[in-house]
Amino acid sequence: MSPAEPGPAPSEDQERELEALLTLSQRGREKLERLHEVLTTPGHYGKGATPTTVVYRENKLKLLRLLDANGQPRTGPPVLFVPAPVSRYFIIDLLPGRSFAGHVASSGFDVYIADFGTPEREDRFADLAYYVDGLVRRCVRTVLNLTGEDRINLVGYCLGGTLSLLYTALYPDTVSRLVLLTTTVDGDVEGGIPWVAHRMGLAGESYDQPRLVPAAEVKSWFEMLAPGSNSVVGRVSDLWDRLDDAPERLREVRTMASWVDDVVPAPGRLLAELYRKLGPGANGLMRGTATVGDRAVDFKAVSCPVLSVSAEKDTIAPAAGVDAVQRIVPQAEILRLPGGHVGIVAGRAAAALWKRTVEFLGTRGAAT
Amino acid sequence: MADEKTNKDPPLVERWLAEQQQWQRTLLTYLDSMVKNDEFVVHLGNAMRGSLLAGKAYPTPPPPGAAAPENPTDDKLDQILFALRKLEGEVQDLKLSLDDLKAQKKTKSGKKLGGKDDP
Repeated sequence: MSPAEPGPAPSEDQERELEALLTLSQRGREKLERLHEVLTTPGHYGKGATPTTVVYRENKLKLLRLLDANGQPRTGPPVLFVPAPVSRYFIIDLLPGRSFAGHVASSGFDVYIADFGTPEREDRFADLAYYVDGLVRRCVRTVLNLTGEDRINLVGYCLGGTLSLLYTALYPDTVSRLVLLTTTVDGDVEGGIPWVAHRMGLAGESYDQPRLVPAAEVKSWFEMLAPGSNSVVGRVSDLWDRLDDAPERLREVRTMASWVDDVVPAPGRLLAELYRKLGPGANGLMRGTATVGDRAVDFKAVSCPVLSVSAEKDTIAPAAGVDAVQRIVPQAEILRLPGGHVGIVAGRAAAALWKRTVEFLGTRGAAT
Repeated sequence: MADEKTNKDPPLVERWLAEQQQWQRTLLTYLDSMVKNDEFVVHLGNAMRGSLLAGKAYPTPPPPGAAAPENPTDDKLDQILFALRKLEGEVQDLKLSLDDLKAQKKTKSGKKLGGKDDP
């Protein structure tokens, strides 16, 4: 046989193998094409889905007021969302149709969101008092001034819930209703972010000589809690599987990833104080020893209705540590929802939380 | 019989050749985006770490020893800067208190005016 002549035709088995390989090749290529399309599509990633206007600025904080479809401020009882200062705010205003804050606004409330921004080097000296008695208090004052109301509804998410609870205990006359979302109250309940941070060195964080704790370090605590996401191989494998999804779905995933993966650096003094006062062993919220600056916090002062929501599969704020709020604020209503820390707020099943929150806050005019 | 022939896929070899050309086009598209769009390189780097994070690079710890040693002067400057930030807050408090007073005054004068109109 000369080299120019075609080789023997492949056997049926070989042909089947080549067909299977061709299908694999096509699937891999299509995934890469989908990835390219997603990576080159601009989006609002990180900016929130609902139009807003800034009504107050201080340091890196921006207080956002949600606008209606005509770009006008809404009316109705005011609601202030307080997200965790170690992550971005837009999880509560994720996508059109999947925005917790947007849903509350369209249910007849005048909604505000505290965007704490990204701390810089000098902000490593920020402590609990700076956040609670400073930023949160001035956000509340601004909203009350703007609306002419005497009281506000507060919705705190995760560490933002801790800030909201402490604020309400210090200034109970300014809060009409308080919603705590996946907010750890019992620091002795094992698991969750305080325990992981404890094991990964938070106990050694200095209050007097604080660092700006790098975003990558904060991220590593969250990664430890999410099996599969703490290794590059695991994450790449997850992403590769996801690339079978339609580009629209991938864009939603991208928005979520832009929240999950974009943690911000954290003020070391705040973390050191939270750990020493409220963390494992100290457990100041449950033991009644919590202080903000030099002021003791008395939870008996919290007289407004309180709704505390935990998530069954929450690895960041275990449900038992969240539901414990009823032991310090007996009137607190406890709601445990199926899902995880992020899913109950912005996942596909988040409507249950949104609906209950709106019911709890009351209809126009009833909540305040 | 003729219909069967037209519906039949092209031979396997031809489909492999077409697939190879598609791969070339896909890779060229990536190369083109990498050359023309800096942000795409960041996003691709994130995807290679398993993340679809947009707009910035996936947070990674700095290599050991990369952090600049803490300079006592910088530390003092940061403390002063943060003290100024706190002052900024106190000034805002004052401003909010003034707004409160203005609003109260308005309400009072409104009531007085209302009183005059009363029979």
